[in-house]
Amino acid sequence: MSNVLVIGEIDGTDIKNISQQVAAVASGMGEVTGLVIGSGISEAGMKLAAGKIIMADDESLENYDPVKYASIASYIVKENNIQTVLLGATSMGKDLGPRLAAELNCGYIGDCLEASSEGFVRPNFAGKVLARSTPKEAVVATIRNNAYPAGEAWSGSVENYSGNIANSTLNTTEIENIGSGTVELTEASIVVSGGRGLENAENYDSMIRPLAESMGAAAGASRAIVDAGWVSHSHQVGQTGKTVAPELYLAIGISGAIQHLGGMSGSKYIAAINKDPDAPIFKVADYGIVGDLFEILPILKTKF
Amino acid sequence: MNIAVLIKMVPDTESKLEVNDGKLSDQNFKYMVNPYDEFAVEQAVQFKEAEGGKVTLLTLFSEDNSIDTDLRKMLAIGADEIIALRQNEYKGDKPLANAKILSDAIKELDVDLILCGIQGIDYYQAATGTMVAQMLDIPNISGVTKLEYNNGTLKAKRQIEGGLQTIETSTPALITCQKDMNKVRFPALKDIMMSKRKPFTNKTVESVESNDIKTSESSLPPARDGGEIIEGETAEEKVNKLIEKLKMEAKVI
Ligand SMILES: Cc1cc2nc3c(=O)[nH]c(=O)nc-3n(C[C@H](O)[C@H](O)[C@H](O)COP(=O)(O)OP(=O)(O)OC[C@H]3O[C@@H](n4cnc5c(N)ncnc54)[C@H](O)[C@@H]3O)c2cc1C
Ligand SMILES: Nc1ncnc2c1ncn2[C@@H]1O[C@H](COP(=O)(O)O)[C@@H](O)[C@H]1O
Repeated sequence: MSNVLVIGEIDGTDIKNISQQVAAVASGMGEVTGLVIGSGISEAGMKLAAGKIIMADDESLENYDPVKYASIASYIVKENNIQTVLLGATSMGKDLGPRLAAELNCGYIGDCLEASSEGFVRPNFAGKVLARSTPKEAVVATIRNNAYPAGEAWSGSVENYSGNIANSTLNTTEIENIGSGTVELTEASIVVSGGRGLENAENYDSMIRPLAESMGAAAGASRAIVDAGWVSHSHQVGQTGKTVAPELYLAIGISGAIQHLGGMSGSKYIAAINKDPDAPIFKVADYGIVGDLFEILPILKTKF
Repeated sequence: MNIAVLIKMVPDTESKLEVNDGKLSDQNFKYMVNPYDEFAVEQAVQFKEAEGGKVTLLTLFSEDNSIDTDLRKMLAIGADEIIALRQNEYKGDKPLANAKILSDAIKELDVDLILCGIQGIDYYQAATGTMVAQMLDIPNISGVTKLEYNNGTLKAKRQIEGGLQTIETSTPALITCQKDMNKVRFPALKDIMMSKRKPFTNKTVESVESNDIKTSESSLPPARDGGEIIEGETAEEKVNKLIEKLKMEAKVI
């Protein structure tokens, strides 16, 4: 059995769901130690399923800082003879993971779709190729959101971190919430995406966003409309945007270019609305409606 | 301000992906500059225009010279020189080994800022930049959508879940660039002509041993079949059928 370290993330007052998913994966791999870094963590940090939880709680750790966080994690890895470090593939995990791997001089496997003591599977080429590896050596890996269900929250012993914290020149001056209340694209179980078929930014705002909101979905976009400036890049799905794998992906007025499919073809169900019966999106869609979105969307909206 | 931009040459997005016996075939790949790295070049040139200094482009690739033309386009945007590290056994999926070579090469340069793309669109590791930063013992900020420089202080906005984190730091630092950062300029004909005279240095580098994880098997994900086109007399009828299927068959709403 190997020793596994899970680096958990706090969201306000709670441990993130993704961290609980990662802890569940870790429990199948060996003896789990949890590490939670932040300021004023208290109770929240204990909701990580791990035999031992180490809390690095300090004012200077309130916001994510790769230099400080990596120094803490690498100290713990060495102290506790850890072989495998698992993190969620979040904005923090994807930044900290490789930095930590470099600090430990060990391999890094990012954004895994599968992770177990049998090995890891991660997407290459935006999911168009899957790469399996079965490392024998120490490894740092990040696991994609929703790849596994969250485990039950319980906690063993709790310790305070007693090692050093590296000095860093980084200073977080602001955290801005954009689109608060809306669902994060990569975490959403339903994604409603719009493309050039919408004709202009106003239609995106008046048709896609409200539909997404009433479905409890995140709003996505094709690159064409991001490039056109209708929506910001944080909405873009595809090879040069975000990769999403929701339960339902609803593509509206999107042709289904290969670079777009790269970011969403891992979705459980795909539904598409497009007026062109030959649009490539229909080749991957489980359900398709051939028709004018300006006629269909208003009706669809009334159903939610 | 002297800036190094790390440029990865990646298979272009139309390249056909073939897997034989669990191995990805790279035989017919055509290479291009990783799209995210173009934002890094543009940002570097903007800083140079405002602050003075030099922009050096650094790439690690195989001995294949077919990349040179595409790489040179980055000089037309306004970078000053290219250093191409040529490695016989180069592989794009060994971030630890590649970061080691890149960081050693950066130590030879006198730079205050290193700009990278957030990720290579080949293996999607988003790893090399942060690893280089660690190896150079400097801070990194990743996924940056806006970068400013004032009196020695960098101010970066990075995408986080549901928002933006603003981080300030002194230099040296390493930044990985996300798409919204800027609009990459189209070079004028004059700049394209000029770029042909800018220095392009090739250097041979040895392979290094590393703890990078080897892929034991590549595969193509199961192909998705097109499903059904929902028929109906009216739009209303089609929508009703779709809702019914999403509820009863797929059970996703
Ligand atoms: C290096 C590179 C990277 C790229 N990365 C990405 C990426 O990450 N994500 C991405 O999305 N793209 C990406 N692209 C771009 C991609 O190739 C396509 O250009 C883009 O996805 C097209 O967007 P679209 O489907 O919105 O527009 P279009 O291809 O123009 O399609 C619009 C669709 O709307 C339909 N339509 C029009 N009017 C109506 C109506 N009234 N009712 C119903 N349907 C209607 C049309 O039939 C058409 O199918 C990339 C390209 C390159 C070269
Ligand atoms: N071989 C390379 N040569 C130069 N820069 C690289 C190389 N590999 C990665 N990079 C840089 O690191 C970033 C992230 O790449 P990756 O870790 O491969 O996803 C890229 O956008 C480049 O800026």
